[in-house]
Amino acid sequence: MNRYDVVIVGAGPAGLSAAIEAAKNGMKVVVFDENSKPGGQLFKQIHKFFGSKEHKAKIRGFKIGEELLKEAYDLGVEVVLNAIVLSLHGEKELTVKVNDEVRHVKGDAVIIATGASENMVTFRGWTLPGVIGAGAAQTMMNLNKVRPGNKILMLGSGNVGLVVSFQLMQAGCEVVGLVDAAPRIGGYGVHAAKVARTGVPFYLSHTIVEAEGTDHVTGVTIAQVDEKFQFIPETEKHFDVDTICLAVGLSPMSQLLKNAGCKIVEDPKRGGVVPEVDELGMTSIPGVFAAGDVSGIEEASSAMIEGRISGAAVSEYLGYITKEELEEKIKVNEAALDSLRQGMFAPKNRGKLVEKTDEGIDVSMNLLKKGFVADEEIERFPGVTHRVGIHPVMECTQNIPCNPCQEACKKGCISIGSNITSLPIVVENSSCINCGMCVASCSGQAIFLVDEDLGDGMATVTLPYEFIPLPKEGTKGKGLGRDGKPVCEAEVVSVKNMKAFDKTNLLTIKVPKEYAMKARFFKAV
Amino acid sequence: MDESRRIKEHPIFGITEEKKEVHFTYDGKDIVGLEGEPIAAALRAAGVMVHRHTKKRDEPRGIFCAIGRCTDCVMIVDGKPNIRTCVTPLVEGMEVKTQYGVSDRPAG
Repeated sequence: MNRYDVVIVGAGPAGLSAAIEAAKNGMKVVVFDENSKPGGQLFKQIHKFFGSKEHKAKIRGFKIGEELLKEAYDLGVEVVLNAIVLSLHGEKELTVKVNDEVRHVKGDAVIIATGASENMVTFRGWTLPGVIGAGAAQTMMNLNKVRPGNKILMLGSGNVGLVVSFQLMQAGCEVVGLVDAAPRIGGYGVHAAKVARTGVPFYLSHTIVEAEGTDHVTGVTIAQVDEKFQFIPETEKHFDVDTICLAVGLSPMSQLLKNAGCKIVEDPKRGGVVPEVDELGMTSIPGVFAAGDVSGIEEASSAMIEGRISGAAVSEYLGYITKEELEEKIKVNEAALDSLRQGMFAPKNRGKLVEKTDEGIDVSMNLLKKGFVADEEIERFPGVTHRVGIHPVMECTQNIPCNPCQEACKKGCISIGSNITSLPIVVENSSCINCGMCVASCSGQAIFLVDEDLGDGMATVTLPYEFIPLPKEGTKGKGLGRDGKPVCEAEVVSVKNMKAFDKTNLLTIKVPKEYAMKARFFKAV
Repeated sequence: MDESRRIKEHPIFGITEEKKEVHFTYDGKDIVGLEGEPIAAALRAAGVMVHRHTKKRDEPRGIFCAIGRCTDCVMIVDGKPNIRTCVTPLVEGMEVKTQYGVSDRPAG
């Protein structure tokens, strides 16, 4: 039997972060993961993360995965792949199947960071090939570089559904619509808005009636539902699709903890059946900790911090650091975690309709129902101002924990303040130099640089663009509104891409000046 | 090789790195895939949707979770049934067959 100071199950963001922290404190650490590659779901995340610098904001998920892995290996953490943990029992003993061999290992402490699995939903035809999980779509396109389908309907408007829809388009797939039985979009408005402005329609209070096809999906029918989620007759809509993608939530994978005899509770606010844990993540079995989605569904950013906390906690538990050192580490990490758990999407607000921002501004109902802020709503947000010459327009309308824009502007044009969920404001008397860093740094792709009047009846709008083919200077086309519908003629006058933009291209389009505050996307014709 | 489903270029990843091609058979048909990719990825790239038929109702099934959890994508690989094609790397010369129940031919 192999012995370790700490055995960690799961090499995702929580497990790796825990391993790094424990190894830094001098512990002998092993991490088991059932997959052939480490990193959990991080390597499928190609969008820029939210949060602030300490949460690795504006770095793309897969890059964060690479950084974590490198750090873990540099610290001598042993990562065993293709390793399925069969059981956790007794005095923190585990049986692990590595390839075809079963090993027994023992840890003085154990951290379970097994993450979550995707939920599914049933409807007629749901077992047909072509109905896939959103995670499967990400795996196929972002890891295997194979398009899961050509024409796709997405069910679920949480962050996963929104982000994966955008990624499907980046991979060259057509998304015919985004459907959710709920009356309101579940994920961040900025994620919805970047999908909506490309022209993808949202169908809220709708769900799937049937997946059609004999041996694989050839179409789908959706229909509207009432408040009790019953279909409303004669509201059916049909789409020709070859793929239906399900993004209907995640459930903690707490089975291992349950089998080990940890106290388990059902907690909807944490996403399902989860272990009872103390503030450091220790379960009812002393020395057995849980970190990340397994103890409550959140973002990967939170999972990394929870991992660090549990890594520090086991270090103190086994005497590798003092109680004072632990308290110091907890203070820093708790503050980081706390800042992520504020705002409209805080765990305590799950399922609630938040009607006003922290600033007392009415939330855009259009954003919640259709995926975009209506032209008549946008002016009431503090990031949207008018001035002579080029200036940033920040269409950030919900209190989400994110602030890279504030730091991106070296001229001090943008301010969020110390509360990272506050809406960004344009600082008076500051001068924008058109560098574009704010546009590229906004993880929500919600910042535009606008020159409302060039003096010849025209205006320019600079927008983030992460699709191929990348339009060239001189390309003529249409300016699309926030709803994705063509609103005016547009011509690309500049395309900027710098290393610091990290693959977010800045497209500047020239439009008639009355469309300066309306055109938010470009489509070549 | 039918290339239409393969992503050759991506706005974030850039040009897809070339990998070694390998030949394998799917129900006796010669197919080209990429070495080390999951069998399921090679099949999807080749346009194959149905991986197996269920035992009781003979219903078609294909990829669902793509991370080895749901077992919907199992097939007979080199004579062994119940192989999760979404997490099993493709190797030159593999024999991949549609699985019917746990057999390699339709019932009756």
